[in-house]
Amino acid sequence: MSTDETAITPCGCPDYERGMTRRSFLKRAGAAGLVAGIAHETAFSQLAFGAGPFTGDVLVVLSLRGGFDGLQAIVPAADPDYATWRPGVGIPANALWQLDATFGMHPAMVDLQPFWTDETFGAVHAVGMSEPNRSHFAAMEEMERAAPGSGLRTGWIDRLLGTRLHESEFQGVQMGSSLAASAFLGQTPELAMWSIDSFGLSAAYDDDELARWDTALRGLNDGAPGMLSEPALAALGALSVAAQITNAGTYLPANGAVYPDTDLGHALTDVARLIKADVGLEVAAVDYGDWDMHVDMGDVDGGWMVDHLSELSGALAAFATDMGTAGMAGVTLVSLTEFGRRIQENGSGGTDHGHGQVVLMMGGGVKGGQVHGQWPGLAEEDLVDGDLAATTDYRSILAEVLERRCGASAADVAGVFPDLGGDRPDVVQQLP
Amino acid sequence: MEGTTTGTIERRSFLKTAAVGAAAIGAVGTAFTGVARATSPQGHLSGDQDLHLLRRATFGLTPASVARIRQIGRERWLDEQLRPSSIGDRACEDLVDRLPQLRISMRDKYETQDFDWNVMFALGQATIIRAAWSQRQLFEVMVDFWSNHLNVTNPGDHGWYNRHDYDRTVIRKHALGKFEDMLIASAKHPAMLHYLNNLSSTKDNPNENYGRELLELHTVGVDGGYTEEHMRQSALIMTGWTIDWDTGLFRYDGSDHYRGPVEVLGFSRANDSGPGGQDLALDYLRYLARHRQTAEHLATKLARRFVGDEPPSGLVDALADTYQANGTAIAPVLRKLFRSTAFRSSIGEKVRRPYEDVIATLRALRYKADAHGTGGIQGLYWVCESLGQAPLAWSPPDGYPDTAADWRSAGGTLDRWNTHMSLAAHWWPSEIRRPKLESYLPKRLPATYGDLVQDVAKELLFVKLPGEQRDAICGFFDRGAGSPLHDDDAIVTWRLSHLVSLVLDTPAHLLR
Repeated sequence: MSTDETAITPCGCPDYERGMTRRSFLKRAGAAGLVAGIAHETAFSQLAFGAGPFTGDVLVVLSLRGGFDGLQAIVPAADPDYATWRPGVGIPANALWQLDATFGMHPAMVDLQPFWTDETFGAVHAVGMSEPNRSHFAAMEEMERAAPGSGLRTGWIDRLLGTRLHESEFQGVQMGSSLAASAFLGQTPELAMWSIDSFGLSAAYDDDELARWDTALRGLNDGAPGMLSEPALAALGALSVAAQITNAGTYLPANGAVYPDTDLGHALTDVARLIKADVGLEVAAVDYGDWDMHVDMGDVDGGWMVDHLSELSGALAAFATDMGTAGMAGVTLVSLTEFGRRIQENGSGGTDHGHGQVVLMMGGGVKGGQVHGQWPGLAEEDLVDGDLAATTDYRSILAEVLERRCGASAADVAGVFPDLGGDRPDVVQQLP
Repeated sequence: MEGTTTGTIERRSFLKTAAVGAAAIGAVGTAFTGVARATSPQGHLSGDQDLHLLRRATFGLTPASVARIRQIGRERWLDEQLRPSSIGDRACEDLVDRLPQLRISMRDKYETQDFDWNVMFALGQATIIRAAWSQRQLFEVMVDFWSNHLNVTNPGDHGWYNRHDYDRTVIRKHALGKFEDMLIASAKHPAMLHYLNNLSSTKDNPNENYGRELLELHTVGVDGGYTEEHMRQSALIMTGWTIDWDTGLFRYDGSDHYRGPVEVLGFSRANDSGPGGQDLALDYLRYLARHRQTAEHLATKLARRFVGDEPPSGLVDALADTYQANGTAIAPVLRKLFRSTAFRSSIGEKVRRPYEDVIATLRALRYKADAHGTGGIQGLYWVCESLGQAPLAWSPPDGYPDTAADWRSAGGTLDRWNTHMSLAAHWWPSEIRRPKLESYLPKRLPATYGDLVQDVAKELLFVKLPGEQRDAICGFFDRGAGSPLHDDDAIVTWRLSHLVSLVLDTPAHLLR
């Protein structure tokens, strides 16, 4: 990320000036003592003595909520058991876009084929948590806590951001929802917003009025319980930057990218806007739900799964196109889902909750064009309680991304993913 | 604001925002460090137990509700609220009657096969009407609680003909009755049979969706001690509970029922006949409803709703005992809860969620419904939707989360401030009716800015603000607390709506 200038010019609001001053200062002065001193000035800073400004990839975490059936997306067509388990909803081998000797990609994901070809899009198969968990809610909580066997009650993104300086209110952003995922749970404040354009105070019609509201609302939160004041102060700290992005006018995606006109399309558009505006975004979280296809998922020609894969692929392709090759060189996108689905289809034209899942990855540093991971097979004896086994711990993928792309030290990773161990799936390049 | 179109809510996807739901299982714990000099939560409200009970057991204080509890005392007020039929509510029901769509029977609606969502949208509006204007406030709070506990998303794909009936015959019918009856009614209802797919679960092709959530969400809870095998057996027990596709109504089909021994958490049966499967399932549901783990699960959720995000275990145990001793009856549990020391000492420890904030704001400002029609109510529905909490609309089956940590959000905080401003200024919805702003002022203006701020806080929120907050509000008008007030000053003329909005932005209104 560029460190010598930002795309935004200060507006003159007192808070923005303060934020910019601190930010610019940190960029010039690397002296650890000074940095630590500044960090103590702010209510939010983690202890990040000696840490410099963040220069690694922006990490985009795409949560496919509801239990994404990766076996219908990156299809193990050459595994003879696949068609046996899924006589109804299975995707026939001859309909797939062949990826390697084992796997083919669902034809509804056609928009992503060019990125597979140029090796900026790839997948890891048979991924999961260390313990199978087939409850949506418990699995999501455990996946986002990402600390099995420990008593930690924070989320992994929060712990990650806690290893860095809190330079920007936009450091961690949940986009497309006013509620942050539980991966953000903890001390580092995140911004959760529906959209950039909706992120404003409706009564503050000019800079003076904004300053008036800002001062009063800070006063009302001075002494308020943290559960009220922390999000309030995060909101106030981000207002003027959001206003400038909005006031810059209608956003035109680059390179002819066309996002789908859907919640997912809008959210990824706004993530691209934030990255391009260089406001200090380090981790963005976006949700795309409705994968709980117990009934009527459809077949290769149409239906729920086809619609969902098409929207997903269209949105991801638009994002990568909009960011461009140079932009994506500084972005790593990883999809997660709380569990995969039962290998045997059920009687309702759908699949029930399972275990092993697929992780999709995009970015200039991704070793794309490959299906990574160790394929455990789909024969009865290879399954775990009737489900695809997990041979790669999802945390090892994230840990490798943090280490190779996001400048995390071994100690950082040990704090984010305690007791993970050293296995890494080798899915991204080391940042030069 | 995005997301306020019909199209959006139709697209609103299942499990989309469920991560926050997951966090509800955990707790605030480390989430909030607080500010070193934070005023204690009680400091924002006052120790008045009458007002404390009203904040928790209703959707927000009104002058009438405060007058009532002052008049008859907390015990009698609670008795009255626990017998909702004893409370006249004609004016509110007249408002609901403006939604004739709700009067169609499930069967008649099914016969139309029109799949339109009008009845479901009417139900969302009726829910807001009752929350804001019903005199049976505790009943409405409990309807909200159970609607989330036994969630069937409204609007949702299959609810077009049945969801309003579910509201009436499952939730409202049993909200202060016995949980056992409510659970059975929900299991049988086409709305639930559709929502969690039990209607297509058969002995040859079981669908585990309902069988799992019955254990995890509706009864014993995720830590209830069941195994994956129990979960599968749970689904098998419920096979055969389906609907009649000619009428859309419940039907038991013994030929689809799994036969063979079943065992779940100590419930075991030979289960050797098809026709016997219906009684088997009834026995199973009763067994689950009365299970100790269910008692503790429900007690925890009730205590989390009414006492605090991390309810004390002693209270949970006591409530679970009461629940079991009273054959799953709900009212005795509530009585026990509201009389507990834990409840009395929990002032200010709950944060209003967005929906609760909107309704409490309407009540604080003494809004009235539209003079005619329901255009303003529809507007309110979209206000709640844009805040992320339209009533009954949570997509996953676990219901809206109920702790402050789940709702912590910078964007959500901004949305609330904007909503307070919009309702204070009566920008939108325009059809609902707000009294004149001047009605919130004392008849004779006080001498200073500080006293004016406190007068308005007292009028709307029944509290006195801490001095720093009073000063912050005075500062907004470029004055101090002691500054003399003139009757043509901005604060009592063109900026009066700002004053009202700022009072609504104080912790005293954001906490409940």
